[in-house]
Amino acid sequence: MIYLINDIITGALIGLLYALVAMGFVVIYRASKVFNFAQGELVIIGGFIVWFTTMQMGLSLWLSIPLSLVLAGLVGYAIERIFLTKLIGESVFSMVMVTVGLLILLRGLVLLLFGPAVRPFPIIFPLKPLFLGDMLIPMNLLIGGIITIIAAVGLSWFFNRTRSGLRMTAVAEDHLVASSMGISVKESIAFAWIVGAILSTIGAMIFLSGKSLTFLASDIGFAALPVALFAGLESIGGLILAGVIIGIAQSLTTNYLDPLIGGSMGSVVPYIIMLAILLIRPTGLFGWRTIERV
Amino acid sequence: MTDKTRLGLRGLLAAGAITVTAAMPIKAYAETTYNLALLSDFSGPYADIMPILAASRETVFDWWNETSGQELGVTLNYKNYETRYDAAQVASLWPGIKSELDPIAVVGLGGPDVAALSERLPEDKIPMFMATAAYGYAWQSDAWIFNPRPTYSHESAGFLNWMREKRGGDEPLKVAILASEASPAYVDMAKGLELYAEEHPQEIDLVEVIYTEVQPTDLTAQMRRVVRAGAEALVIQTNTSIVVAAKRGLQANGANIPIMMSSHNGLPASGAALGGLEQLEGDYEAYGMAVAADEDTPARQFYETLVADYGLEAPWNVVTAMGISQGLYTVAVIQHAIEENGADGVTGEKVREALFAQPITTEETHGFLPTLTFTPDAPFPLQGLKVNVGTVKDGKIAIDATGVDVPDLQKW
Repeated sequence: MIYLINDIITGALIGLLYALVAMGFVVIYRASKVFNFAQGELVIIGGFIVWFTTMQMGLSLWLSIPLSLVLAGLVGYAIERIFLTKLIGESVFSMVMVTVGLLILLRGLVLLLFGPAVRPFPIIFPLKPLFLGDMLIPMNLLIGGIITIIAAVGLSWFFNRTRSGLRMTAVAEDHLVASSMGISVKESIAFAWIVGAILSTIGAMIFLSGKSLTFLASDIGFAALPVALFAGLESIGGLILAGVIIGIAQSLTTNYLDPLIGGSMGSVVPYIIMLAILLIRPTGLFGWRTIERV
Repeated sequence: MTDKTRLGLRGLLAAGAITVTAAMPIKAYAETTYNLALLSDFSGPYADIMPILAASRETVFDWWNETSGQELGVTLNYKNYETRYDAAQVASLWPGIKSELDPIAVVGLGGPDVAALSERLPEDKIPMFMATAAYGYAWQSDAWIFNPRPTYSHESAGFLNWMREKRGGDEPLKVAILASEASPAYVDMAKGLELYAEEHPQEIDLVEVIYTEVQPTDLTAQMRRVVRAGAEALVIQTNTSIVVAAKRGLQANGANIPIMMSSHNGLPASGAALGGLEQLEGDYEAYGMAVAADEDTPARQFYETLVADYGLEAPWNVVTAMGISQGLYTVAVIQHAIEENGADGVTGEKVREALFAQPITTEETHGFLPTLTFTPDAPFPLQGLKVNVGTVKDGKIAIDATGVDVPDLQKW
């Protein structure tokens, strides 16, 4: 029984990590209507920035973490300036295609700049888990879960309660209309990419703390994808619930079903849940229902 | 010197030259060239080890061309093709490779090559030689794809039996497996050992089989289960990232269960990913080829020759050993085919026939591999299989056992 409880707790916390990475999808989507296929690659870029400032430059964590977040924000800003700013006013589809290109480009850049070697990632969060009786809670995931909830509450408030957040929502509705209303589309989209890159870097720290860093870690982007679609691409708060549900389902499947059937279901279950929800609610659990009047 | 004497000397030199030329074997002059297609992954999951593996096997072909090849009048040309370790990529590249090179053999890398070409190579009558251990799903008769090592499950079963003997006692060894569903090969490794444990409960008590991602988020809870189940060995034949996550999970639980790794995720690679080999003190790597330890062995001596005389730029580690052994058994088979059919008479089909015709001795592979006797019954030798065991002792890789017997496994 205790194993079941432990698997549920770990699954829920891993789900919250997925939710944090998925938050990057949602922030960029809410500000630009663009689905960023390169979200997993942003996690890797963030991971390599943290690795570089810590292991290569030898900075202490107190210095390297804030520096890495600033650098990650600059990378997000640079990506938006170089690749996306010229597409403002063009179809959203072309921007989405640019993110597909970004996925390939960033992977190649990582290989080119850092090589393919598997590297040790710094230990950012304590390795020792928290024991509550027989219950075991991994510290990195626990701290990550708390960060995810704080980030979700903060960003929900920002998007729903502040003027800047509401402006960004208007940008996502229509670039040209937002521009004609005096809203800076460029600034909104750039801000979203900066936040997306910073969230990805925090995700990388939680995900990789004390483990190894390779470009394969970008696969977490695909693990976070069903969480984003399950919650609905506009809902930041919904990511928490979606993450927890998918994390627990995946954990239970991997630990109890896969050993019986010889693997393969654990990675499929999140997508099955996502597709089932999308069949019932095409906008996801908490996605906006748009009514178009003709 | 008079003119007469000078003339006499010239005549003597000319006659000598003619005699020497006539005495030399004609085949040394009539050089024949054959092509090898090398499948590589410089940008996929094995990009970290590929430069070393590629350099090692290519240097063996260069060495062979300059030694045996020159004597036989044959040169082996080779060309790398980037597959990204992707079966679809291999399948789409293959028609072009065939028409461009018309190779007499393919030098493969891993599971995707097997998946993509297992149906094509028998039609095209071109054999493929792998470096890795074999896979249960590819265990078929009349194969055209060959492995110098048995399946990963054979290797782990051999290692676990050795470990049980080392421990002593009649109790079965309690074992946990950490596998991944990310690749059919990873699932296959677990399934073979599961079947062996099921059929030999007196030898292995399989206490946990855990599936995870290739880059696991956290394995602390899973390792707690393994510790509580009393596992005495943890088999991880997947990749280095899983070894790192498992080690961290064990450390988080204050446990130190010996991990057994394979060649592609062995001690040097996993140690580097953990930040130092000393973190793997007392852990093992086991596989059916030479262990790249500090000891002076024939394999080590051959490696030193390649470095000194043929410009091999690769450290002495398991990946280099894998590349060299792959190159060596490939050229040994081709050499047998040339000796049987003449320098001009070699085809892919003849190379395959030569593989079955006579064993590849351990001397031919400079001790990198045991003597290999292939039969049409399986893509790997079924008899005389051995594994070697390496470990980390005082922060260095050391050979713990050589020539450990591999048990017979049923197909799964």
